[in-house]
Amino acid sequence: MTAASTAEGARQGLTPIDGPLLGCESCGMVSRGVPEDRLPEGAVLRCARCHHKLHHEKPFSLQRTWSCVIAAAILYIPANALPVMSTTSAFDTSTHTLLGGIHDLWVDGAWGLAVIVFVASIAVPVLKIAALALLAWSVRRAPDWRRLERARLFRLIEVVGHWSMLDVYVVVLLAACVRFGSLASAHPEPGLLAFAAVVVLTLLAAHSFDPRMIWRDGPKHG
Amino acid sequence: MTRAADSLVVCERCDQAYRWIPLEAGAVARCTRCEAVLGRGHRIGIETVLALTVTALVLFFVVLFSHVISIRLGGTTVESTIPGAVMASWDEGDWLVAVATAVTALIAPAMYILLRLYVLVPIAAGRIPFGFGPCVRALHQVSRWNMLEVMTVGGLLSLVRLAALAEAAPGPAMFALGGLTILLAAIEAAGLRHLWWYVP
Repeated sequence: MTAASTAEGARQGLTPIDGPLLGCESCGMVSRGVPEDRLPEGAVLRCARCHHKLHHEKPFSLQRTWSCVIAAAILYIPANALPVMSTTSAFDTSTHTLLGGIHDLWVDGAWGLAVIVFVASIAVPVLKIAALALLAWSVRRAPDWRRLERARLFRLIEVVGHWSMLDVYVVVLLAACVRFGSLASAHPEPGLLAFAAVVVLTLLAAHSFDPRMIWRDGPKHG
Repeated sequence: MTRAADSLVVCERCDQAYRWIPLEAGAVARCTRCEAVLGRGHRIGIETVLALTVTALVLFFVVLFSHVISIRLGGTTVESTIPGAVMASWDEGDWLVAVATAVTALIAPAMYILLRLYVLVPIAAGRIPFGFGPCVRALHQVSRWNMLEVMTVGGLLSLVRLAALAEAAPGPAMFALGGLTILLAAIEAAGLRHLWWYVP
């Protein structure tokens, strides 16, 4: 683990400093902040170098996170209950739900694939909805509770968040490939629409959440 | 080019401020409070990033214009491209699915590659491109929505599922997707912040 040891080395040399400083999200330049009550009505702080807006906190972060999380949780029900794809062969038409597709892979002996699809389509969206709800709830209700673990949880859901698009892509590709008229064809079904909405909403929720809220009034460093 | 030793950096995840130190190549500096990455010591220079980005552009054209999967059933062969698959789901009336796929697997990666080239080519030649700030800000947004790596796995998964039904084979776009996944990860790791050091 050389990467970890060099990270440790770099960590030793960094000195934390206190003060109302604002880092630019875009270019990283640090500016001295102005207390909110001293800022004129309607004034916007901008980075002197790149003119990006500077915020102590993303505006309406909690409200936006909550609305996306709640909408995603509601749509998660039709996403799982309704079929995401239908296949037509010479003999019959059958519909497939998300869980049904994973079950089919498992029964066919493709255990590895079944696990990948389960993680991407079931575990990741549930984890994201639950984790974002927990993070948004704890900002107000339990601000001191396990700050570092909450920061790590947020980084985790940012990393894995993309992977829930997997099943959407698979159905889109399958529907495009299997076009042999009455012999064999595949079509997307309404469940896929709900599932795509869940994925997009959880991504928007994660983008709305400002992780700096986790550290509000927290220990300064170390 | 290095950052001045006495410059400041603020953790974008928790607002902790630090006095910055130059990093060795390959080193990663993390916030002592929330453990988020503050910066990296870069191994590759701007010319290398530019070369990788040009390669990525070439591979992206392969993804756009060649087929990902071809399948054969009863003497008929169907070859499907990613833009074709997006159009097909649009025609089915699944507009949200079509738009989400187009944005995450086509538009965002295309913007990512083109904006990087627009910024990197003049900088490598010693000039600052027009609209540098807005371009770098747009790059931040675009890189969040680029999910080409997921599309790569999605393509492979579709291939496996189709193999059970008919004779299925990967097309040139599938291999290009694999290459792009690696290239874009390398370009992403090079970051954006250091580009500002070139601005007077």
